[in-house]
Amino acid sequence: MLPYLAKRIMLAFPVLLGVSVVVFVMIRLIPGDPAELMAGQAATEEVVRGIRESLGLDRPVIVQYAVFLRNTLRADLGKSLFNGAPVTEELAQRLPRTARLALASIVVAILIGVPAGILSATRHLSWVDSAVMVLALAGVSMPIFWLGLNLILVFAVRLHWLPAIGHETWKHLILPSFTLGAASAAIIARMTRSAMLEVLRQDYVRTARAKGVAEQTVIGRHALRNALIPVVTVVGLQLGTLLSGAVLTESVFAWPGVGRLLVDAVLARDYPIIQGTVLLIATTFVLLNVVVDMAYAVLDPRIRYE
Amino acid sequence: MHKRVFPILLALSVAAIMVLPSFAQQTGGTLIIGRGADSVTLSFYASAAPDAEVMGHVVETLFRLTPDGKIEPLLAESQRLSADAKTMTIRLRRGIRFHDGTAFDAAALKWNLDFFRNPANAVPFRAILLGELSDVTVVDSNTVQLSLARPFVPLLSHLTHNFLGIHSPAAVERGGGMRPPTGEPYGRAPVGTGPFKFKEWVRGDRIVLERNPDYWGSEKPRLDQIVFRTIPDSGARVLALEAGQIHVARAIPPRETSRLAVNRALRVDRAPSVRTIFFGFNVTKKPFDDVRVRQAVNYAVNKRAIAQTILGGAVRVSDAPISPGVWGYAQTMTYPYDLQKAKQLLAEAGYSSGISVTIHHPTGRYLEDAPIAAAIQAQLREAGINMRLATLEWATYLAFTGRPVDQNEVQAYMLGWGTVTGDADYGLFSLFHSSQWTPAGFNRGFYKNPQVDALLEQARGETDATKRAAMYKQAMDIIMKDAPWLFLHSESQLTGVRREVQGLIVHVTERMMAHFASLNR
Amino acid sequence: MATDSALPSVPRVVPRTGGVAVWRRLRRNRGALLGMMVLAVFALSGLFASWLAPYDPYRSDLEGSLAPPSGMHWLGTDELGRDILSRIIYGARLSMVIGSISVSIGVVLGVPIGLFAGYFGGRVDLYSQRVIDVLLGFPSIILAIVLVTVLGVGLVNVMIAVGIVSVPTYARLIRGQVLSLKIQEFVEAARALGAGSGRIVFRHIFPNTLAVLIVQTTLQVASAILSAAALGFLGLGVQQPTAEWGAMLSTARQFIQLAPHTLIFPGLAIMLTVMGFNLLGDGLRDALDPRMKL
Repeated sequence: MLPYLAKRIMLAFPVLLGVSVVVFVMIRLIPGDPAELMAGQAATEEVVRGIRESLGLDRPVIVQYAVFLRNTLRADLGKSLFNGAPVTEELAQRLPRTARLALASIVVAILIGVPAGILSATRHLSWVDSAVMVLALAGVSMPIFWLGLNLILVFAVRLHWLPAIGHETWKHLILPSFTLGAASAAIIARMTRSAMLEVLRQDYVRTARAKGVAEQTVIGRHALRNALIPVVTVVGLQLGTLLSGAVLTESVFAWPGVGRLLVDAVLARDYPIIQGTVLLIATTFVLLNVVVDMAYAVLDPRIRYE
Repeated sequence: MHKRVFPILLALSVAAIMVLPSFAQQTGGTLIIGRGADSVTLSFYASAAPDAEVMGHVVETLFRLTPDGKIEPLLAESQRLSADAKTMTIRLRRGIRFHDGTAFDAAALKWNLDFFRNPANAVPFRAILLGELSDVTVVDSNTVQLSLARPFVPLLSHLTHNFLGIHSPAAVERGGGMRPPTGEPYGRAPVGTGPFKFKEWVRGDRIVLERNPDYWGSEKPRLDQIVFRTIPDSGARVLALEAGQIHVARAIPPRETSRLAVNRALRVDRAPSVRTIFFGFNVTKKPFDDVRVRQAVNYAVNKRAIAQTILGGAVRVSDAPISPGVWGYAQTMTYPYDLQKAKQLLAEAGYSSGISVTIHHPTGRYLEDAPIAAAIQAQLREAGINMRLATLEWATYLAFTGRPVDQNEVQAYMLGWGTVTGDADYGLFSLFHSSQWTPAGFNRGFYKNPQVDALLEQARGETDATKRAAMYKQAMDIIMKDAPWLFLHSESQLTGVRREVQGLIVHVTERMMAHFASLNR
Repeated sequence: MATDSALPSVPRVVPRTGGVAVWRRLRRNRGALLGMMVLAVFALSGLFASWLAPYDPYRSDLEGSLAPPSGMHWLGTDELGRDILSRIIYGARLSMVIGSISVSIGVVLGVPIGLFAGYFGGRVDLYSQRVIDVLLGFPSIILAIVLVTVLGVGLVNVMIAVGIVSVPTYARLIRGQVLSLKIQEFVEAARALGAGSGRIVFRHIFPNTLAVLIVQTTLQVASAILSAAALGFLGLGVQQPTAEWGAMLSTARQFIQLAPHTLIFPGLAIMLTVMGFNLLGDGLRDALDPRMKL
């Protein structure tokens, strides 16, 4: 167990390093002087000179990268061109909001996806099964931002049940987390269904049934536990989709998280913010993948020996 | 739009609208205002209306522009401009303290003005607001003398500009100073003398102000708190207003107004704005170096249709380069929609086989800017002008259209100019005088007419108001005929307000003033 | 990476399936049939947009703007009075172009990387895998946004960005296939007969990855269309006044209360098209090889 974990964590380091290289290179690939880009159009010659020095632009690229890495590790990601606020401060303020949204949507995805999958597996080939599968197909085919806008149209505009924007209370969380969680719910439902179908065909389940164990107990005790592994896999696989979706969901619901910050920054060409957000999102993504792999290893001992 | 909805408002050319006369005013409560853009800085480095709007509650200017366009003393008690219009003596109100307890006096004022006008500090509005100021002298603890390099009559108007709100020098120092380009770090927590104190700023989300219980004025603030919330999407802003999540929604989409008018829980107020929207032509470049082409474009665009449909009738088609409500405004002329005339002018100019041009416009900066550009594109197609639209993000856009003449590649660009000092000089000099070719000023089309130059210069030093107004009228007549712009319209401010809100002022300078507003419960 | 677990890990012999057999199986699959029908409508609209569209998609009629669906404008008009049906039809053409070009970019770059990395192993594999790892370290939209930041917005750059985002997926997939194929007997046999590496890779291994490649590409078109629409919606993709579905939604959101039809139809178009590709992809997978794990 431990060696596997250690190895998995070690493997994440080169990836993180690579991510930092991509982010570092990104600014230098944009046509124009990086210092002027990072200083903004309104900057004075003096400010540009200051930034040029702090980025070490007159030194070899490898040194520039070292400087960048050092600053990043010191949580110094520069200042927003738009309002001059330190990037790290801005990110620290917004990260918890994105985390809240993402967590809520995972909960939504599981709460909808697992029961739907079980339902459709236990009523295999019935109309319930078909309905769940059609919905699941719609769930993965729908543009997430369109789903969000439709939910606003129905629940906020027409019915006035839920607020359309804002992030203060749990009520504000419902529509965005459903929007973000829908696609994952669809995939979890599909995976749970096929895992359940497989499990239900297994000998021990048949035996249990033959012995007269109540149907609910069979499903509850034997089948569900075995179906959990694919669910964890899906949650892991969906992390990327989830983080991508967060960018869109935050834009739809005016949710002031990291995703919206990134989009606003790209539109405003606020390079220090772009750099910081991309770095933060990618790092989070890589680390979350490590966590998911570990959870997977805990659940399924076979994994470790592969 | 329903005719009965704005029966009187339409007739009003008053500069602002009071929302319900205030009777039985209550104290307390938190007023939430939803707006499209967050502030950038709350310091001298401010550069746009979202900054000015918040600053107006916290820091106060020497003089203020009243909603109906008059200038009144605010932190000042009185002023006197010398006969040669080169010296202004200002007496200050006594006994006013900043929110941090330090005194507002002549020394504090001098510190503020000196900081603002010091070129080393690179304050963006230095040249345009205080460029003519040559010296500030403290006469005694409550008298200051301003010396001017040249006669400059509009100075008083300039001193009403919200970016010139007076900050506590001690607080600026304690807050780490103000550094270009955005006045960091002090600009995140300003300290002034206003009816509200700065409390909190969550970037991209909200700015919270709280009541200043020790406000010096005779009228006291009633609200406990004012919250400015940033909700970029206008549709979402309207939704939040209807759901009661916010009390006030700024910049309602024009086409929503008639739908909202039937909602009894709220009202839509339409206040004029001093912002004029136009497409500027680069008159040094083909094809717009030919006045006939510029006029042809003015004839080929159906400004009224744009105003009525895209803008839901909420704007006023321009009949001068500045808006009514600005001192010095006078009706001059309009170019009626006349496709034949446009084609004829183009033919005369030698472009009968059509023209291809590229036009730059911002997106999301002005009311329906991108749709307006798209509509103009479609209309010009009928006149044989093939227009390619290009949009850029705002800061890049300003920089791109603001390049010096020899490097400027722009053929035409869309812009809006708010004459926020309420004086014609601010709306004409910087935009049409040949000394103001960008980057020196905001003359981005490189227009030059010696007659206009002379008139605008003379007017600056003319102390007789009647004569001065006549000069502006004459200058504007020439400008309209020269057509350095495609003249579009003056914007209106559409503000959705819930019924319980009283005493709110939507100022003609595009500021929401909740200084003495209250909430009815 | 967690994504590893999605790849086929069981070595297997790819059945040499004839086109006729596949078609027969595909035809029996109701979902796939439905998908093909939807896609046929989509493809025909795209190909014959200029004949099918009732109006010029760029012609504005301000007086008739934001009109709800009617006999004249079946799907209503947008904020400039342009016919929404015509814009959706032209949007199909654009989506077709975006989908095919961006996926081609992914295939042309990703497949060779996967083939060589898988076949040669060693350093080629190690280095290419590390690069792929890093690219997979970014959620897809984020990587697309990074690329758009560098390249700028606009149609061509969107296709490039969306295409590059799919490169690691292809490289990983094909590499996995090659790893299991290269130890198969027929490869050994070819090698024993003295075939060169290039010949083995392209003549013997590559054809055996085609089944997986076809299924993946079908599904990838769906996700390319979704990504391009997402970029368009965020204002980072195809720009106005171009009739692109995502960009149409971006403008329409403002009229959510006033003219919901401007919001509903372009979104439906995206959903149906994506659904069509997903159904076809699922059907193809079942028809080509039911055990394929994609």
